[in-house]
Amino acid sequence: MGIEPGRLHFSWISSAESVKFVDVVKETVEAVKALGPNNNFIKTTAKVA
Amino acid sequence: MKVIKIDKKNWAEGLKRLADKFPLFGPVQKDEFHIFKELHKDELPDLSLQNTRLSPKSVVYPQSETLFEYTLDEKQADHHILKEIDKDYLPRAVVGIRPCDAKAFLLVKRNFDTPEYKDPYWIKAYQAVTLIGYACNTPCSNCFCTTAGCGPFHEEGLDVLLVDAADHYLAQIMSEKGEKFITAAGWDTSAGANDLREQVQTLKQAAETKITARVSTDKLKDKDTTALFEASFWEDVAFACINCGTCTYACPTCWCFDIQDETFGSSGIRIRNWDSCMYPLFTHHGSGHNPRDMKMQRVRQRFMHKLKYYVDKYANGIQCVGCGRCIRLCPVNIDIRKVCDLMNSFES
Amino acid sequence: MFAYIEKIKEISNRLLKESTVDLIIGFRKGTVPMMNEPCFAKTPEAVDGLVWDSNCGINLANYLANRKEKIGIVSKGCDSRNIVTHIIENKIKRDQVVIIGVPCKGMIDRHKIEAMFDTEIEAVTEADGRLNIKGDGVDTAIDKKDVLQQNCTICTHRNPVIYDELAADLVEEQTDVDKYEDIRRIEDMTPEEKWEYFEDLLSTCIRCYACRNACPLCYCPTCFVDESQPQWVGKSQNPTDIRTFHFLRAYHCAGRCTDCGACERACPMGIKVRILTKKLEKDCLELFDWESGLTLEKRPPLDTYRPDDPDDFIK
Repeated sequence: MGIEPGRLHFSWISSAESVKFVDVVKETVEAVKALGPNNNFIKTTAKVA
Repeated sequence: MKVIKIDKKNWAEGLKRLADKFPLFGPVQKDEFHIFKELHKDELPDLSLQNTRLSPKSVVYPQSETLFEYTLDEKQADHHILKEIDKDYLPRAVVGIRPCDAKAFLLVKRNFDTPEYKDPYWIKAYQAVTLIGYACNTPCSNCFCTTAGCGPFHEEGLDVLLVDAADHYLAQIMSEKGEKFITAAGWDTSAGANDLREQVQTLKQAAETKITARVSTDKLKDKDTTALFEASFWEDVAFACINCGTCTYACPTCWCFDIQDETFGSSGIRIRNWDSCMYPLFTHHGSGHNPRDMKMQRVRQRFMHKLKYYVDKYANGIQCVGCGRCIRLCPVNIDIRKVCDLMNSFES
Repeated sequence: MFAYIEKIKEISNRLLKESTVDLIIGFRKGTVPMMNEPCFAKTPEAVDGLVWDSNCGINLANYLANRKEKIGIVSKGCDSRNIVTHIIENKIKRDQVVIIGVPCKGMIDRHKIEAMFDTEIEAVTEADGRLNIKGDGVDTAIDKKDVLQQNCTICTHRNPVIYDELAADLVEEQTDVDKYEDIRRIEDMTPEEKWEYFEDLLSTCIRCYACRNACPLCYCPTCFVDESQPQWVGKSQNPTDIRTFHFLRAYHCAGRCTDCGACERACPMGIKVRILTKKLEKDCLELFDWESGLTLEKRPPLDTYRPDDPDDFIK
């Protein structure tokens, strides 16, 4: 629906996998930052008549 | 009342001259149907249509209209104060509105412009428009305007009535606004003559005889409201209804609205949106109670309002101009003509 | 069609007479060309008004949810699939309905036919797969198969999947149809193109909710767009709110939608809303080998877990 594939991440992390958690978060943040902001679903008052 | 002749060759040029003076609205084709919209420069209204899918009521009364803005930021001096929004109420013209849709504004006016209450937004927007009607030479088969207090050449509510007569238009000028419009277009107004008026009459009669769909409304006023309200036919009438808002949104005479505040961070706006009596939310009380909780009650309300309450309250006929949109667009084929006849012939 | 109607009437009368059901839900003849009106029949006179032709595209399962009576319901392939879905979702009990199955050869798209002629269509009659169209200066015949609703052209379940009575012999199912050509085209777009495509698709929406209300799946007591505490979606003509409504509604139908076409047929603005639900229907087929409404024996993929559910998307 117009959202880039890299913006959504799914991962399965056990509560014991702290290192994996940190890695996934870093990876996700970097990927989303690289895509830049997506303002598509942000509502602006300007669009109402 | 003056009738003038506009050669179709001079039509585009006249509109162009008008477009330099003020905004023009008109029907244009969008996908498979026509809509009313503001015409951009050099765009002509498309008069090849039977009628627009939705009524042009939105030109005066938009589906969503921002009324106020406010800030919740207490550092601002005017926080928590509703401030009116600047709006453009400069003159504009609607070219190609059908007579039924123009008459509908007068029915809606009864709600928005009364001695007690005046809706400033609607009134200012209505006063700003010059309505250039376009007579129906070939009405749709489900138009029933002639028995709904209107007609294919109906004049009420119009400033000018345009009649298509082969290579030219006959323009019947009915108000000062209309006169100004014609003058601004540079069309020659001196050519008014009696035989032109006769031509209009002939075309009018021809169009009226083409309308075969009709409703009977003569006995509605005498019916006992409570008996009609409790009539057994409502269950059958309402069965198919899915309670969408199509009929009310397409209707040129439906005027109901809902007011909503929308806040974005610390600032916000107050909007008014069309509402529909078909929706359960329309009557949902803050207490949780809903007096029109069932679909049948809502369907009944729509027809009773248009065909009984309005008739009783205003002595002005039904609150319907017979444009036939609700019949054409209803996804489940609920037909106001059928319901009106059921009501009119109802015996308790 | 005539034989269908006589058989529907015969079955209906029998069911009512034997008190097997309290009412029959079917169609009566519409007041405008190419439209019929859903109705109920409790008496022989009302049964006499029942009709069946190619203008019965409305999904009658929509009229079943939460009813308490015993009901006989006229049901084409897609209606029957939505009845199955209703039974699975506890909106009606199996022993409450007598399904009068009507094998279907597709319903016609009246907007498509209207767009073919410059003049207004005043009457349409049908015989042997041909439609006779009459209007001012028009008197012509066209093939019905050329003007079917788009979902009917790709339908592979024309016969009712569940029924107690049959109004006619079963028809041959279509095989070899390419159901998802349009969806693949959108899948191939870039995110920006998709965004623009949907913006354009929904630009004429008036939020009348005809699509939602015509849908048998949309029976929630309060739809998320009507909630006020909290208010999930704004109420104005704001494009973001309109888009949110359409996308979320489509997701609510994932794994449940039978592509009956009721939403698209109901839309007064001619918006191709099925594009949204169909993508999810395609995903359910490809990921879970699931077509909704075919069986009472299995739970839909989105309300059950299987160890072999696809999980490639989890990193």
